[in-house]
Amino acid sequence: MSTELIKVTINSEDFQVTKGARLIDVCRDHHFDIPSFCYYADLALQASCRMCLVRIEKMPKLQTSCTIICTDGMVVTTQSEEIEKAQRSMLEFLLANHPLDCPVCDRGGECELQELTFDWGNLEERFVEQKNARAEKYLSPMVANDPQRCILCKRCTRVCDEWMGEDAIEAGNRGSNTVIGTYGGWLNCSQCGNCIEVCPTGTLLDGTYRHQARPWELTQTVSTCTYCSDGCQMSLGSRGDELMRIVARDRYVNGLNGEFLCIKGRFGHPFVNHEQRIRTPLIRYKKGGKLIPATWDEAIRFTAQKLDAVVAAHGSTSLGVVGSARLTNEALYCLRKFATEVVETENYAIADAFCVKPFFDSLGGPLATHHDIRHAKTIVLIGGEPEELQPLTAKQIRQAVRNGGAKLILINSVPIRLSEQASQFIHVRRGSENAAVLALADAASDDLAARKLGVETSELNSARQTIAETQGDVVIMFGGELSSAAQAVVAQMPYTFAVEGRRICLHPLPLFSNSIGALDMDMHSKTLTDVLEAASGSIRALYLAGSLLPEHLQKSAEALSKLDFLVVQELFETETTAFADVVLPAASFAEIDGTYTNNDGFVQRVRKSIEPVSQSKPDWLIVSQLAKELGVDFGFEMSASAVFREIAERIPAYADLRYPALKDESQPVQVKHAVAAKRDLTNELDEVRRAVEGLSDDGDKVGETPPVGHELFKLGTLTDKVPQFHLLAAGNPKPESFAISPLYQITIDEDLKREPAAV
Amino acid sequence: MSQQPINIQPLSQPVQMPEGIASFSPEIEAEIDRHLAKYPVMRSAILPLMFIVQRERGYLDPPGVAYLAQRLKLRITDIWEVATFYSMINLKPVGKYHIQVCKTLSCKLLGSDKITQVCAEKLGIKVGEMSADGRFSLSEVECLGSCGTAPMFQVNFDYHENLTVEKAEQILDSLP
Amino acid sequence: MFIGAIGCEPLQLRRVHLENSRSLDVYRRNGGYEAIKKVLDSMSPDDVINEVKKSALRGRGGAGFPTGMKWSFVPKDSPKEKYVVCNADESEPGTFKDRYLMERDPHMLIEGMLIAAYALNAKTNYIYTRGEYKYLIDIMDLALDEARAAGLLGEKILGTDFSCEIYTHTGAGAYICGEETALLSSLEGLRGHPRMKPPFPAVSGLYASPTVVNNVETLTAVPDIIKLGGEAYQRLGTEKSGGTKLWSVSGHVNQPGVYELPMGYDDMEKFIMEDCGGIANGKQLKAVIPGGSSVYIMRADQIIGKDVRMDYEGLVAGGSSVGSGGFIVMDETVDIFESTKNLTEFYKHESCGWCTPCREGTDWLVKIFKRIDKGGGRPEDAQLLLDLCDNIEGKSFCPLGDAAAWPVQSAIKRFPEDFEKHMKN
Repeated sequence: MSTELIKVTINSEDFQVTKGARLIDVCRDHHFDIPSFCYYADLALQASCRMCLVRIEKMPKLQTSCTIICTDGMVVTTQSEEIEKAQRSMLEFLLANHPLDCPVCDRGGECELQELTFDWGNLEERFVEQKNARAEKYLSPMVANDPQRCILCKRCTRVCDEWMGEDAIEAGNRGSNTVIGTYGGWLNCSQCGNCIEVCPTGTLLDGTYRHQARPWELTQTVSTCTYCSDGCQMSLGSRGDELMRIVARDRYVNGLNGEFLCIKGRFGHPFVNHEQRIRTPLIRYKKGGKLIPATWDEAIRFTAQKLDAVVAAHGSTSLGVVGSARLTNEALYCLRKFATEVVETENYAIADAFCVKPFFDSLGGPLATHHDIRHAKTIVLIGGEPEELQPLTAKQIRQAVRNGGAKLILINSVPIRLSEQASQFIHVRRGSENAAVLALADAASDDLAARKLGVETSELNSARQTIAETQGDVVIMFGGELSSAAQAVVAQMPYTFAVEGRRICLHPLPLFSNSIGALDMDMHSKTLTDVLEAASGSIRALYLAGSLLPEHLQKSAEALSKLDFLVVQELFETETTAFADVVLPAASFAEIDGTYTNNDGFVQRVRKSIEPVSQSKPDWLIVSQLAKELGVDFGFEMSASAVFREIAERIPAYADLRYPALKDESQPVQVKHAVAAKRDLTNELDEVRRAVEGLSDDGDKVGETPPVGHELFKLGTLTDKVPQFHLLAAGNPKPESFAISPLYQITIDEDLKREPAAV
Repeated sequence: MSQQPINIQPLSQPVQMPEGIASFSPEIEAEIDRHLAKYPVMRSAILPLMFIVQRERGYLDPPGVAYLAQRLKLRITDIWEVATFYSMINLKPVGKYHIQVCKTLSCKLLGSDKITQVCAEKLGIKVGEMSADGRFSLSEVECLGSCGTAPMFQVNFDYHENLTVEKAEQILDSLP
Repeated sequence: MFIGAIGCEPLQLRRVHLENSRSLDVYRRNGGYEAIKKVLDSMSPDDVINEVKKSALRGRGGAGFPTGMKWSFVPKDSPKEKYVVCNADESEPGTFKDRYLMERDPHMLIEGMLIAAYALNAKTNYIYTRGEYKYLIDIMDLALDEARAAGLLGEKILGTDFSCEIYTHTGAGAYICGEETALLSSLEGLRGHPRMKPPFPAVSGLYASPTVVNNVETLTAVPDIIKLGGEAYQRLGTEKSGGTKLWSVSGHVNQPGVYELPMGYDDMEKFIMEDCGGIANGKQLKAVIPGGSSVYIMRADQIIGKDVRMDYEGLVAGGSSVGSGGFIVMDETVDIFESTKNLTEFYKHESCGWCTPCREGTDWLVKIFKRIDKGGGRPEDAQLLLDLCDNIEGKSFCPLGDAAAWPVQSAIKRFPEDFEKHMKN
């Protein structure tokens, strides 16, 4: 948008506004109330609700302010008898067929239609006819639908199409028979629930939360999602000690994700108050025995004694400490402090699905924020499947292409759904992604790379050319397929493609909410594989904060069983705790204060919504108490903010940060990751080239686009606790009746073998 | 459907429908190809193709919907939203003979009510119904552009104009 | 049913009574395809547009926008494809003129489209015909095949460098698709919702390319404009609206039909009472809706002895408007409450549902009419109906809202007695 200013007169007041600004935005910026339902920032214009009518001089009729671009000298009236009558009459039309039984509606108390009606007041009900009746129903395990309440603003159909690219929900029929729905009446989609989120009335409702609480009973706590590395801001709605629901609704929250959440963020929270949460510390007094409930005092004392004994017998390096990448910065910091300052071992590592440390070691440019992605002109995505693993990033990519005209270069062995948006889809052989990095960085290797990738050299050429010719920001992203050396090459690409006046931003796609924070906390002394391989060898005792991922557990199960001593901090009894000698009940993200650092490099607050369930405690506090028992007082008392203060003092990227500086989720703070200078990549390129040369010349490519939800619906320890997820994991079978929740109609075969989620 | 012009590009993923997908003879496929050839964007052929599927299968049944989605590389919802908008597209079965009596003003002035009534009596069904043997459906429709020759009805695509009660009965009797 | 001209030589209806009138052969033997030849031989696209401008031809679909001006809005330097789309989605109640033009003289439409396509440099053109007119699509397809075989369509037309294609396209039962932007949505395979203007189709229409959408009658007027010259064509009518106009007449007249009259025909009373054979069965005239259903209804005393001139200005002065030129004539037995209810049901059925006032408003209006009809009328209902119409009018997304409001507003104001009768019950 240009920065040229023009004059607009609104209600006899003159304003200087940016040329090209939209009238409705300008009016609202200057606090002139304009009602609207269908207008929604960054979605296609609709101009259908006709609520935002204003009078513009020299125009014959009232105009919808959402469709008007300000011009110099425009004279606008937003308040007059004529306009009030028009706006009130639109509201009257909307209410005509809308049931007026707000008290029984789940949206009552947070309904935009209700709010406007109450705000204006003084409405006479002239509609005495029979309202058009439409039955309530379920559209999916997650989405309940009360079609009578629909005002057809079509925000839902637009987010489904423009954000998610799914187009699963649409308007059907015509005229006053128009309804929002889908062919056959059953929604097969990623169940993100964004249609529920943006619905201004009680038409689309959270099927998992329905009839459980009223919005005014809920305490809203702004926090950060615990699932993927996108770090969506959300509002946890709690009643007493129970977490009732999660929304992103930007009336409460105004984070980087707006009103966007994915299925996991929105519906994946029932684990918090789940009955299977570990209630007390558990001790297995003898190998092969049972885990017996114990007091915290007993558990801490027992653990300290045992650790002391192992260290006394085998030295301090016989102890390993592993932290999950889903823990807060505070917890990970305390764990490292515990490892380095209390036991003085170097055997500490992060339990992550893949590690982006080599990338950060060579980081040659800024991390792309989600805002950067939305406004990028070219996006390069190497590997990865953001739609399923980092859904917000996928949404930003899609909007950048569809609304911003960005070019997407997609390099993947699978025709993932985002390939619909790609201006260039380079379909490569499975496992050959490193070759694409090689080709991007080194044109001389084109022939080799093309042969191994199974593509034409012209495709690689054209990708490089697109990047080189881009006027504006370029964002380069990569998934877990890249080797360490290839990550380093990508990290240096800001130098490779440097052109005056534009930025090359980088965006790694790790899997966990704090994968990046864990690296920042320097929790990575060794790789997890190194630590696990040494387990029951040189390492005699392990301290695990969070269970191991299935793939890691599989490889190390035997080693775990032979350990002298294993401590696990967990929410639930898992396959990992089955080996534990002591299990310490940890508090979930909803019960603690802390911070996560996301893939933008934003450090964002996690806030306590409810008191820790049963006797559980924050991970960082458990470690601190154990340290104290072992004779080292961290001095944090009970304060997470004291931990963060120390992080800020000790870790340069976090210098000077304090919780108050992270207060406003709409102004996220990017940590200052050290940017490495341009350096010689010969070694890395050689290493990548050697690896690429070793690839087969005729590997396969995946031909079919995987179905929506192929990763999202996999059951993990947390999503396993959501009954509806089981239906989705079983293929979202269509129930006999849509009138009641499918949960009460379909029995899921629990023995069904399902692939566990990596995440 | 959004208001802003968007890229109408075909989907990359195949359409999967549990009910199966309709198939057509090479002649029909050729006819469909002729329609597709008219437009630079495949989606434009959606209405002509719906009429073909309806003609061949009686109505736009689930396999027909799946066929259209696959043939036009669209999502099932795209077919649904369009099919339900247009009054001539039937997502439910209709009779072999669909009697559509015009009820808009000019026909109304000249007695379309009587025509509807005689059809209903003769066929033994009400407006909006299909006879049990599947031979007849009776509808009242809006203006068919025969106002100068009112009243009238359409049997499938055939216009029958300047109707009287007797003439209407005759026409119904003469249907094979 | 009558088809023919009154008060002028038949122009558009010149060939309709000839045997085999829809064949290429008959068309050519009666002056057909001379205009396109003249255009290709001696005229530049700008010349064509200028002639059309001079002719004062106004769009015959209902809005009456000057056709030459519409054509001149198409950006000449646009690198995009350009399209001419013929709007043959004739669905306005009381209107059936396009049907007979296409049925009897399809080549006239083809020739008109060819000239428009030449003027606008359009290579691909569509005739969007309502789905119910399937037999007309078949007729048009045959005529197009004939023209193609004769070198009048396709590559290098008449041996010149001008190439263009015309295809038929079918609607599927939606009145709203007669609105030009809804028609384009429908032609793109979407739901037939109108689109925002601006951008106007001339800049961003079909497939976001410059597009001109013209009614059948508008396009069929073009060959004569070229042959006669714009000025001569204009002189057939009035200064502001040139040429002849087809009027569809239905309802209680002795001789319904399609009448070709010079623009500015004097006067409406004579037309109904004499040319159309007067009111059927010796009854008295009560009301006329002169422009298809979407205009103000006129009382007999606004017509009888009032010298209403039949052109755009004349009908506005008389208290209504030309619209699509569909006369619905009602005799003294007609209850205007009933007739208005009938039309309101039409608009409710045909509202696309996009915007609030039209979707909810028409639904509400119909419910009120039905309640009154069942004897539940209240004295305040007339005022309520008027207020609802006022709330719809001018606030809807496209003109369908206005079209639904006007008949009701005018009926209540001009026939209060017919409404009061029901509300007292």
